[in-house]
Amino acid sequence: MDIIVTIKEVTDPNIPPSYVKLDAQAKRIESPFGVAPVLNGYDENALEEALRLRERHGGRVTVLSLGDDSSRKSLKRALAMGADAAILLSDPVWMYADSATVGRALAAAIRKIGKFDLVMCGRQASDTDAGQVLYWIAETLKLPAVSPIAKIAESEPTNLTVHRLIDGGHQRLRVQLPALLGVSSEINEPRHPTMRGTMNAGRALIPGWKLRDLGIAQAVPKVELRRLTVQTRTTKAQLIDGSSDADRGIALADKLHDMGLV
Amino acid sequence: MAGILIVGDLAAGRPGSEFLELAGAGAALAQATGEPLIGALIARDNAAVRQDCLPPVQRLYLIRDSELRHYGAAAFVAAARSALGASSPSIALFAHTLETRDWVPQLAAALDAGLVMDCVALSLDGDALIATKPVYGGSVWGEFAIRGTLRLATLRPGVFTPATPSDKPEVMQLTVEHIAVNAVTMIDEVAAAASGGVNLKNAKVVVSGGRGVGGAKNWHYIEGAASALRAAVGCSRPVADSGWVSSAYTVGLSGSSVTPDLYIAVGISGAVQHLAGISAARTVVAINSDADAEIFARADLGVVGDYKEVLPAFVKRIEQLKS
Ligand SMILES: Cc1cc2nc3c(=O)[nH]c(=O)nc-3n(C[C@H](O)[C@H](O)[C@H](O)COP(=O)(O)OP(=O)(O)OC[C@H]3O[C@@H](n4cnc5c(N)ncnc54)[C@H](O)[C@@H]3O)c2cc1C
Repeated sequence: MDIIVTIKEVTDPNIPPSYVKLDAQAKRIESPFGVAPVLNGYDENALEEALRLRERHGGRVTVLSLGDDSSRKSLKRALAMGADAAILLSDPVWMYADSATVGRALAAAIRKIGKFDLVMCGRQASDTDAGQVLYWIAETLKLPAVSPIAKIAESEPTNLTVHRLIDGGHQRLRVQLPALLGVSSEINEPRHPTMRGTMNAGRALIPGWKLRDLGIAQAVPKVELRRLTVQTRTTKAQLIDGSSDADRGIALADKLHDMGLV
Repeated sequence: MAGILIVGDLAAGRPGSEFLELAGAGAALAQATGEPLIGALIARDNAAVRQDCLPPVQRLYLIRDSELRHYGAAAFVAAARSALGASSPSIALFAHTLETRDWVPQLAAALDAGLVMDCVALSLDGDALIATKPVYGGSVWGEFAIRGTLRLATLRPGVFTPATPSDKPEVMQLTVEHIAVNAVTMIDEVAAAASGGVNLKNAKVVVSGGRGVGGAKNWHYIEGAASALRAAVGCSRPVADSGWVSSAYTVGLSGSSVTPDLYIAVGISGAVQHLAGISAARTVVAINSDADAEIFARADLGVVGDYKEVLPAFVKRIEQLKS
């Protein structure tokens, strides 16, 4: 089973709001000094699941990322986890690209790679929280898109049985390959890179493709980011007094009762 | 023809509460553009529409098809395309749910239309729809300009002021034109075990547990408090990821947005991605052993303490107050 996994390098999502920094144009979230960017969590789940499918069915796992040069670090991490090959799409024209543009560029790169049975993506990136790129890839490649996937229950070389989350539960779906899956965090616990993997990844060559290598034209974006603003919080909880935890529990019940909430 | 189209679900004859919020947001855009406000409801069952809960729209399309009973992107995209074909709107609005975040981007890609999801504010600037959306978990907001003949947005539930139901709009039936056959077939649908039968999304009171609860074996503390308060149960993402409960209970960016009058967070640290799901909660109570936890900056009321001591005393007192 040949699988292509799209990954994105993002600012660590666990930075507390008061430390979040924006670039001079207020269009990108920057990693504060000393905090390294990370591989988007859902993409790491997608890669882990791809590696498990390869362990069962053989084949190749190729990771593909669109980003700036620093994304090579995340691609190397993916190689260290066990991916067979990595490709970077990097071109200044994509600096502030919208989801459609990024999706079409990734789709063109997937076509250029050629052979695949499955495309796996994280359900969304934790910096933009847009959750659209996977669908633009699917539409461009005319693949069925299924997301968010919490489990791959069965896998055969030509089809998968997956659990897709819906409001209030999940659906069990049979998906004929080729297809595209959007992966959610319930699916697995991603492995850590091995020492040996890290050493091999350090030596790996990662080709960099630009817009002109993909044979596509740049379309006029339909969605344009005007500006980002950091949100600050001001409210502060009123703390319930009491001589013990149990007393505070009782006082809380009385307080909510007085407020007419219970 | 042009218009502002709002698209929602119809179950048991009633649209979801989000439909009135879409109408509120849509009416403001309709007024600014001078275009009519048009509604479309995707029926999930055979119940007739109850007229008394419909928002003031000029026309209402009702889309029925047996393929729409269970969620599937191809059928929902086809349903929306029927409504778009009938009304040729310049803007279409949807509620942001687990389902719309799967099918609305497929609609956008199929029509090559600009889309911003999970919006908390909308306005117009010339030919652009300006959509504000939380990014980076919610600690940053982005302002986006959407252009084109059709502009799409999904709206975060509980944020926009709902319209009041009004006089009966003209209801027109629509059929689904052509559902793309694709390589996905449904085997079955599995509902998460309902907790006390209270639906999380519409609950007036929610008791949510986080990683601080310490394991599935302790989950009865959360269930017990929820049943004493007749509340729905919620959880943070690590709780679902660890399999203590089904991810149908996840509150936050990747789960549900809830709109209760009272939200009680137990052993939840208050990460932005969790808070994203409770921005519309009226009163938030936090029970956490760490006085410095972020949750205390969002909560209205807080108890610093071990939930294993706080909750049982709380529940006992609630029961006394009730009787
Ligand atoms: C893209 C993305 C999407 C995400 N989406 C979501 C989402 O939808 N929902 C969500 O919840 N998270 C989401 N997260 C995860 C989020 O960032 C946090 O990791 C998560 O919310 C933390 O869960 P928690 O508060 O339960 O756990 P922790 O952060 O580990 O907090 C546990 C808390 O329990 C307290 N505690 C421990 N013991 C006790 C005790 N005995 N009594 C009282 N308190 C105690 C601790 O003081 C601590 O504050 C997302 C993350 C990303 C990157």
